Amino acid sequence: MDQTSSQFIWPIQVFIHKGATTLNDEKWFEFLGLCDEEKFRYQVLNFSPEIRREQCWADRNYAEMKKSFELLPRHNSDHSRLTRQLNVKSIEHLDSEQQATVVSSLVIYKTHLDGVNSHIDSGSTSLYVVGEYRDQIQLDNEKIKLISRIVYLDTRQLDIGSHKIF
Amino acid sequence: MNIKIKSLNETSEKTKSYSRNKKQWLKKPDLPDTHIINTDIYTNPAIFDEEVSNIWHKVWLPICHESELPEILDYRTSSIAGNVPIVMVRGNDNKIRTFLNLCSHRNNIVVRSPAGSLKNAEPSGNSNYMTCMYHGWQFDAYGSCVEISREKAGYQDRLCKDKLGLREIKTEVGFGGMIWINMDDECGPLSEFVGNSLDLMKEQLDTEPLEIFLFQKSRVKCNYKLFFDTSREFYHDYLHFHNRQTSMVKPGYFDQEYSQFPNGHSVSGFTTVDYSSHQGSALRTLTFPGLPPNGWRHTTIFPAGAYNIRTSSLRVNVIMPISDRETLIEIRGFGLKRDTPEERALRIKDYVSVWGPFGWNLHEDLLCAQVQTQGIQKGSGAIWNIAAREEGNKVHDEVGVRAYYAEWSRLMRRSHSTENNI
Repeated sequence: MDQTSSQFIWPIQVFIHKGATTLNDEKWFEFLGLCDEEKFRYQVLNFSPEIRREQCWADRNYAEMKKSFELLPRHNSDHSRLTRQLNVKSIEHLDSEQQATVVSSLVIYKTHLDGVNSHIDSGSTSLYVVGEYRDQIQLDNEKIKLISRIVYLDTRQLDIGSHKIF
Repeated sequence: MNIKIKSLNETSEKTKSYSRNKKQWLKKPDLPDTHIINTDIYTNPAIFDEEVSNIWHKVWLPICHESELPEILDYRTSSIAGNVPIVMVRGNDNKIRTFLNLCSHRNNIVVRSPAGSLKNAEPSGNSNYMTCMYHGWQFDAYGSCVEISREKAGYQDRLCKDKLGLREIKTEVGFGGMIWINMDDECGPLSEFVGNSLDLMKEQLDTEPLEIFLFQKSRVKCNYKLFFDTSREFYHDYLHFHNRQTSMVKPGYFDQEYSQFPNGHSVSGFTTVDYSSHQGSALRTLTFPGLPPNGWRHTTIFPAGAYNIRTSSLRVNVIMPISDRETLIEIRGFGLKRDTPEERALRIKDYVSVWGPFGWNLHEDLLCAQVQTQGIQKGSGAIWNIAAREEGNKVHDEVGVRAYYAEWSRLMRRSHSTENNI
């Protein structure tokens, strides 16, 4: 941790882990409640050595994120559970009081259900994704809100992809 | 009493069941051979080996895009079905050449990284050359062997560099700047293979240079043909909520022509898609040259390439079988090279909403191919796939699947609908 008032460190850590818990539990709209309705932007980025440039695999604002959650039940998906494990690596103030940048290491495990042979494979767990959360959060005495999240991936093979956000 | 009578009636209804016993299930469907596929062609390793020789090493294959190696001495590595490693290099003459990526000495892989520049020196070799790290043999961008470590001391006059160049593979750049290769030295030109199948997209592909903005690869547990089937028929619109909302609701959608071309290619997409009817999609304004707003063009190239333009972005699939039961699917997204940062950002945003790893459609196609593979694996009881929809060559006609397997049979010199292995 660096450059952060000690009073904020614990609430920020709780906030970031709460976000992961809501996503793990697929409480999509509860997660949305942690995000700033006006400013929120969610992106999935990575650097591709194949095309030698940074690339974007998802880019949604609050409204688009909300729509995507609403549409989830209407799409055919792999319903395997994703479990996000975090470790908050750094918390840094951007300006005097109001915003902070939080970087967390991210590991996602996939516990299989119906994406392959459910009789044979359901219940097995495999490492799915390694990366980072790069979060911008708004600090307020009343509430903490997520302004932006970049999921920066090391993993660049996501097998059949996912309708669920990371 | 009344209840008992009702129960008897229900039993009576059940005797009318149309389920089938084993013999009936195995019976070849009463359809023309052109309309059915024996699932053995998806699961038989011997057939896969024949496919590698008779198809994958005989036809033109799109591999990557010229914008992936934009500078002189840039390179890009890949591989072809049958475990064939290749490297593409842009020479000092600006021409892109492809070589078997094997050292002439002991067949070590010469260039290991997925992409880079030969201008950067390797630990065991000079810059500007491809250097085999094993014994330091070097090759230039023309494939010539330019350095053999202690050549005279070891080989005297028995071997010389002039005869130890890399094996060059036929290469052409075209149809939107894609780099195509053909393993067959005796093949005809790329234009002859593609024919007129990409004419409908010509204005979008060749008016001005394109540039890659997204690369994604998926190693999927499915036979390559099963995933490619999702590009060869549109009847599976029912799989995609997105398609049902953006395409099937559009007046005239089912009247759309689905055309077949020589060498197994197919074309659709003469109409537009209505993204506004899909709640999660924004109204599209940005397009490609000559493409109307919300336009859609779609061409599949035998045996497993696909060009797909929807509104503001182009997707090109390069599918490469790893084995009879595993496939590497490489998917690229393109915009125009001259895009402003704002335009590029919009194209990317549009693209990833439908096709990226988190897009609505691609996940469903990949999921379906993977699950279908479970269904037709050897011993499962699967025997016949049916491709018998006839709708006057319109969009939900399975003519594209039939045309694909007709070309497959022609090149394989075997039927796709024999009962031999039942």
